[in-house]
Formats: sequence, C-alpha cells, structure tokens
Amino acid sequence: MAPWARQSSGGGVVAALIAASSLLTCLGDGERTFASLLKGITGVGPLRHPVPGPINVNAGYHIPGRSMDGYAGDLLSGCVTQALADARLDLAEHRVVAIVGTGLRELAAVEQGNLTDPERLHFGQSVPGIAEVMTIANACSAGGHALALAQDMVETGEADAVVVGAADVMTASMLAMIGRVAEQPSDQVRPFDKDRPGVLLGEGAAAVVVVGENWAGPKLAKLLYTGLSCDAFHETAPDINGICRAIDEAYARSGRHPRDTDLVLAHGTGTALNDPTECEALRRSVIAYGGNPLITGIKGAVGHMSGGAALANVDVALRCMSGGEVPAVAGLREVLPEGADLNIVKDAPATHAPKLIQLNAFGFGGVNAVTLLESA
Amino acid sequence: MKPITVTGWSVHLPGTDGACPPEQANTLLGRKGLLMKEPATRLALCAVHRALNMGTGERKDGPADPGTAVVASSNLGNVETVVDVVATVAADGGKAVSPMVAPNASSNVLSGTVAQWFKFGGPNLMLCSGRDSGAHALRLGALLLRSGRANRVIVVGAEPSDPVADRLYAKPLRAGAACLVLEHSDHGVSFSQAREHARGIAQTWGDCYGAQDIISVALAVSALHQEQPA
Repeated sequence: MAPWARQSSGGGVVAALIAASSLLTCLGDGERTFASLLKGITGVGPLRHPVPGPINVNAGYHIPGRSMDGYAGDLLSGCVTQALADARLDLAEHRVVAIVGTGLRELAAVEQGNLTDPERLHFGQSVPGIAEVMTIANACSAGGHALALAQDMVETGEADAVVVGAADVMTASMLAMIGRVAEQPSDQVRPFDKDRPGVLLGEGAAAVVVVGENWAGPKLAKLLYTGLSCDAFHETAPDINGICRAIDEAYARSGRHPRDTDLVLAHGTGTALNDPTECEALRRSVIAYGGNPLITGIKGAVGHMSGGAALANVDVALRCMSGGEVPAVAGLREVLPEGADLNIVKDAPATHAPKLIQLNAFGFGGVNAVTLLESA
Repeated sequence: MKPITVTGWSVHLPGTDGACPPEQANTLLGRKGLLMKEPATRLALCAVHRALNMGTGERKDGPADPGTAVVASSNLGNVETVVDVVATVAADGGKAVSPMVAPNASSNVLSGTVAQWFKFGGPNLMLCSGRDSGAHALRLGALLLRSGRANRVIVVGAEPSDPVADRLYAKPLRAGAACLVLEHSDHGVSFSQAREHARGIAQTWGDCYGAQDIISVALAVSALHQEQPA
C-alpha cells in the first residue's frame, strides 16, 4: 500500500460506494445508451442549437425532441429523481447534500434572453428534495470533481450521502469557439482516430448517489478515489504533468496498482491535442507500471457532454462491470500513431468483465479528475 | 491535527483603501498577461496577490505547487463575454470572434487563471451557486484541507459590475473581490471563529453577490487579527 494511503478508524482503507446511477444522453437513458454503444450506434446529427450566424459547426449530439430553449436543469431533475428512487435513499432520514458539476451552467438561457433570475444560472432549483445544492462549474471534468468532493464529504462525516449531478446543454458562444479553432467542421467525434476532425458537444445529464461503506442499500461499485490536479500551465491546452499527477494520486490514495486496471474509460475528445497527450499519460502512469488495460471512450457516440462527461463514464463503467462487455470506440477508423501500442477497443465490443476501472476527465483551465471504480 | 486558520487575507473593493479597479490591475500585478482577462478575473488576481503579500508586479515562477488548491466563487464573471460573443457572431459571423476570448467562454476561467497565474497545482474548484456560492467555497476550502487533498487552500470570491451582469442581477451590484488563505496551522486567525464573527458584520460596502460571504469573513479576520495580542 502506498505510504500515504488513507486509513479508516478500523485500519482498512476507507472507500465510498455508489448506490445508484442515472444517465440521459442523446441515445436515451443509461440502458439504451449502453445498448447503442455496444452496437456502435452514434447519436450525432445536424446541429439544432440556434446560432445567430455562421460558426463552422454543423453537427451535434442532441436529445431527440428536446426544446432548444429548455433548461439543462430540467434534464438533471429527471436523473436525480431516478437515482434517488433506485438508491432507496430516504431524504428525511439522512443528511444529504447535492453537488452538481457543469461546464456551461444555464448560460444558453442567458444568451437567448430567457433568463431573468440570476438564481436560475445554477442548479439550486433543479435537485428535487435537497436543500443544499452546490454548483461546480469545472468545465469538462466538473462531474469528476463533484465525485471527489462527494467522497470527501461522506468519508469525513459531513454528509451521509451525496447526490452527484451533472448537466449541460450547448451554448452558442462555446459552439462559436469550437468552430473558430476548427479547420473544417467536424462530422463526428472520432476519439483516437488518426484523422480526427475535432470535438462536438453532446446534451445530457446524469446523477450518481454516493454513500459511505456502511451503507445497507443497493451497492453498484466501490468509489475508490478521484485524483484531482490543476495543470496551472495553459488555459485550454492539456499538460501531461498535470494529468499524470491526477492519475498517480488516484492509485496512490486508493492503494491500488495500475497493473491491476482492467479498463480505462478515456477522456478521448477527438481533438488534435487531447488524444496524443492522453495516450502518453496512460503510457507514463499506467503502462509503465505493468498495466495493459483495455481503453475505450464514448464521445464518438454521445458527444462531449462537458460537465456530464465523467458521470456518463461512471454509468457506462458500471454496465461494463455487470454486463461483461466493453463497447468499442464509435467513430474510430484508424488509430492515431501515438496510440498504436495501446489496447484501444476498436470495431467490435470486447468480451471482458472489468473489476478495476479508471475514468479520465480533463477540462479547460487544466483541471483534471481521474476516478477509480472497483466492483463491489 | 492543527486547527484550520486563516494565514493570509485581503479585501479588494475598488474605490476603497486604494484598491485598483479591474482596468488598472496592471498597477498591482504588472502588465503582462492581462490582455482579454475579464474584470472579475482581474479582481480575483488582485485579491490573491494582496493576500499573499506579494510586491507590486511580483510574479511566481517555477513549477506548479501541487499542495495548494484554489476554491473560487463567482457567478457573473463571464456573462458579458458570453453575450458579447453571440452578438459578434450575429453581426459579423464566427470568424470575427477572437480565439483569445475562447477561455472566457468556459465558466471556470476565473479559477483556472488564478491557478495558472500563481502556479497553484492542487485541486481547483469554481463555485457558481448563486448567493450561497461564497459559503459553499468556504465550506469546500476547509473540506480540501480536512481530506488531505491540499495543505494550503486559496479561497477567492469575485464579481464584476458590467452592463450585462448588472442587467441580469437586476439589483445594484458592487464589483469586488476577497481572498482567504487557509492552512492547518498554529498561526493566524481561527477560521471557525472568523466565520462566526462574520455573521455580525454589517455589510455596508454593497452587494458583491457570490463574493459577499468571503468578503465578510475576510473583514472578520482583519478585525480579529487586530484584537489578537502581538
């Protein structure tokens, strides 16, 4: 065990548990999303989000039928309600806090001129039944940061249970920025592809119920640890040192070894910078220690869900554990040279029931969250 | 375990005690790197700079310090940018938008910029919880110390006052920022005592929304520090 691994009062390494998980993507709920992932179905389609002029983005991953002036919080409410019911968590009996991760908050409503109450910019009114709702706007790794804090709260006794939520729709301003730096409009997110055309946004929400190790209700997996770091290097470009610090911390503090990892659910945004950097980080912090995990990513199928990306990975990871199949990377044609030596799942699902899974989430501002899940 | 104490603090309310307005942040921070930085981000940088007792124009260099975390609170820092970008696209198309503005489209630009500017490599959190945002930042700052994720936490709150933010807030908004440096230490002012004392502080400076609670605690620290025996 790493020298700084945490000790519970009983002498063992403490861990939190995941009691329930609920997901909504362009492909449907968690079950439908996973079924589509296994079939290689992608939810990409024409961009429906209203933009006031040409922006060099013409595709997106939209939830079918969603009104383009709806709130992200409406997506979140449904996921939270489902997760609370699945966890059989009695809000009157337990001290429960909600932490919601988001990239773009309700800024779409600000852009559209619909938002007149500043207290609707965050998700305080979108988590039914819970009074204390913290909104953490940590870009594309917001959900991972919320998971980390949820575990800390449960382990320090600040809360009996934490509802970790995430929600994002698109903003015209972020779409404009994506289009501004793209050479050609991207047709699909193609993680780890040699000729990846760049990122596209995906609408969605998710909710996970995090509880302590003495929880008597349903247990889907152990939430071992989420390593957090900030590159403090560049506003938008990833930095391998910052990423590796988050990975290394997750293993060190959970007392697990990278050689035992069965699967990595990668951040895999299909951008010029992320994918080679992520491959090198996996080589440096996992492969170099004897690990050779399967590597997959879901953004080719559901788009980049921004704050929801990390929790979407959690839901998919839980289904890989229970179902014994790992989906291939949707949209991947030929693996990028920097990843040629990695075990990236391509073309068809891999038959494997992973026990120890690493989930990567990196965001603007150099904020990294790397989560380790283990079968309960 | 030593108690959580406040080992550095500042209140940066432009127009008060010589605090510079955001457009003159260069007079405190130095000129380089401020281009395209939003007013709330500039105010946050000024507050952190002062809480760390850095000299005029002084910069941190070297590798990032993984032991120092940032917990920031702001709600309206980037709303003007977001609205401006949409207006630019409407008027002249996406190509007219400066890529230099790109980081400001993300709601965590303030916390990320503080980390990059001062080389804070620990956990980095951007709270945007509305009125409760400052209180949440204070709570999570202490949590990061208790859970061992950091040995020093920079809690910083900042809000701007600009036409878009003012219109959205629909009440008089005071631009300002404050910073608290939290550590497990025998020195400094007790954090729990400062939070308690802050409840009794009359908020005479105006309404800084997501920065308000952090300003109150920073003022409480200042008052308690003056009472402490030398």
